[in-house]
Amino acid sequence: MAKVFIYPATSLILSDLVARFGHKPLGAALGIRERIQTAGVDSPPLQITPEEPKRGLKYAAVEVPSGVRGRMAIYGPLIEESEAAIIVTDADLAFGCMGCARTDELILFSLRQKGMPILELKYPTNEEEGIQFVAAVRKFLDSLPKEEGEA
Amino acid sequence: MGEYRPDYVDTVTKYVFIESPSMTPGELALRAYEASEGVLIKETCFGLQVSGEPESVDRLIEEIRTFDPVHIFVKDRGFPPGDPRRCRANLGGARPGYLGHEREFRVLRYITRGLEELDRREEGAEVPEPAPPAREARQKLDIKRLQELIDTEES
Amino acid sequence: MNRKVRIAQLSCGPEYSGVQKEIYDAAESVGAEVFFPDIALADVERAVDAFGLDVRSADLKLMIARAMALVEGRVDADGVFISTCFRCAEAAIVRNELRRYIPEHSRLPVVSYSFTERTTAGTLLTRMEALTTIARRRALLAREEQTGITMGVDSGSSTTKAVVMKENEIVGTGWLPTTEVLKSADGAVAQALEMAGLTMDDIQAIGTTGYGRFLIGKHLGADLIQEELTVNSKGAVYLAGHQRGASTVIDIGGMDNKAISVIDGIPGTFTMGGICAGASGRFLEMTAKRLGVDITELGPLAMKGMGKNVPMNSYCIVFGTQSLVNALAAGSSPEDVAAAACHSVAEQVFEQQLQEIDIKEPVIMVGGTSLIEGLVYAMGQLLQTEIVVPRHSQYIGAVGSALLASGFIKGE
Repeated sequence: MAKVFIYPATSLILSDLVARFGHKPLGAALGIRERIQTAGVDSPPLQITPEEPKRGLKYAAVEVPSGVRGRMAIYGPLIEESEAAIIVTDADLAFGCMGCARTDELILFSLRQKGMPILELKYPTNEEEGIQFVAAVRKFLDSLPKEEGEA
Repeated sequence: MGEYRPDYVDTVTKYVFIESPSMTPGELALRAYEASEGVLIKETCFGLQVSGEPESVDRLIEEIRTFDPVHIFVKDRGFPPGDPRRCRANLGGARPGYLGHEREFRVLRYITRGLEELDRREEGAEVPEPAPPAREARQKLDIKRLQELIDTEES
Repeated sequence: MNRKVRIAQLSCGPEYSGVQKEIYDAAESVGAEVFFPDIALADVERAVDAFGLDVRSADLKLMIARAMALVEGRVDADGVFISTCFRCAEAAIVRNELRRYIPEHSRLPVVSYSFTERTTAGTLLTRMEALTTIARRRALLAREEQTGITMGVDSGSSTTKAVVMKENEIVGTGWLPTTEVLKSADGAVAQALEMAGLTMDDIQAIGTTGYGRFLIGKHLGADLIQEELTVNSKGAVYLAGHQRGASTVIDIGGMDNKAISVIDGIPGTFTMGGICAGASGRFLEMTAKRLGVDITELGPLAMKGMGKNVPMNSYCIVFGTQSLVNALAAGSSPEDVAAAACHSVAEQVFEQQLQEIDIKEPVIMVGGTSLIEGLVYAMGQLLQTEIVVPRHSQYIGAVGSALLASGFIKGE
């Protein structure tokens, strides 16, 4: 089972397909869940404390807005952990965790920098594209190692 | 600064979306309850939220998927069901993530179609891959077309 | 208990900067609740088209759509809080345009703020308080005449002012530098009462404002404890005799500056702050000290000088002071240095704050610094307008408080 970063990280479709075809989707929910289930300073709604943008300094310099650094504190570790990625390139209406275009650019750059297998594609706009979309995702996921240590 | 003590530590919550002509969210919930074995199930307008220990949730999700494989979609959720921090009533409106789901609902039927087709061709023919999204999508202007444009401008 | 004031939040980033709780806390402490206008995806797509500002960030698109839902009356709110990350250019454009768009198309009061992860509820409090006051106390703010005998006390960061008013006239004033908050307030109150020839027993209602408003409000048993944004707006248009219609109020304070776009005596949009004390009265105080003159002499001195002769940029108070020292060492005249300092402070306020509100004439300058004529002149030059400095402008907060406090006289 490979850890596959999904972009947009809030995607239902990608999260579903990656899990359906036997791999582990890495998306925003995992980062948020970790924070929601960790004791500490109360910081609703997402339990992202003012410390997180400081942790985000690992991924973006201090002159980068706090919202970018705070988001990167969620995504940075997930990107580091990922072994592959599926990117939908026209995900321009993904909000909240994905709602900042500057963060999104940095996420994409970080993913492409890793030199890991990446599938980039667009949302389908008709049935034919739907068939191609699912097939491409399936084929990509099939090419990834299923078992721990498998090449 | 207030202290935060989390509820439901070491649990996972997943959304189950159903977009099916043959099964309503209510029916889905009924069948899921039968298979739940202690996993918390909450019915919603789009399907369910299931919440519990990771292994139990995974087992239940696997079961639920079999009800209608190409019309059921599953996704992780960071919050437990009914969390006041994400509740529409408390926020005054839908959390931003909901609008993102709305975006993907529009194409869900194409994904369903893709899954159906994949099943059908499981043993059979190759399905053509999508062309990679072109970074240079704009085509170069044909020289004849350019001349035409110039002519229309001048006339 | 009043119904909670409902403040619509239009924002990008506070949840991810760890400051959403600070926004919640600030709202709660002034009896307000923050909510997020409910819209659908189709509204977002329609709004981006209709508004015509095609930004990349989806959360900024969401802000635009929510703003349109408010303006079109599809969602009800009492006020609007617009907030985006500090240093984000894309968000700053949206923030500015929405701050302009909402008051132009609705009666909703708007406050905007760009936060960092260090932003606290305390920083947001005055702004939230002003927002809720405008929403909740429109009737109180509609008052145009002072009645009975009332007192207003303004406990500012540099000075404490007190005013006694009787039947729409200022009959007593008091002024002291703020040292110990309560002691300074008692001193200023005593001066004002003495001048009015009255005692505390004669006072029918008291209003307090400024940084020390809660402390002195409790101490004096005030009837009205109110932040300085609404109080100063009210005081300014009252003193300037311009209670109806649009105006702009500028108050360059000892610690921060206020620029308020006022309509019928009620703040519409406003900004508060300033990056550094270099853009405040504090820098002028330092300049006066360095030149060896009293702060009251700085204005006339500046009027005799030419600011252009001295390069000075008080974006930062340290660099500003350096330019000051260098200029004097290089033989610049005190007149020119004084003029340059006034120009620099005016320029900072102009660049950092006045861009964020719509300047409508008359422009009224108030607060202690409005008595520094070199500063008023420099601001007038920058805005290309004749600036109004009403009599008693240095007592602005105290006058506004005394005026509004008369709404609390028993039997009123």
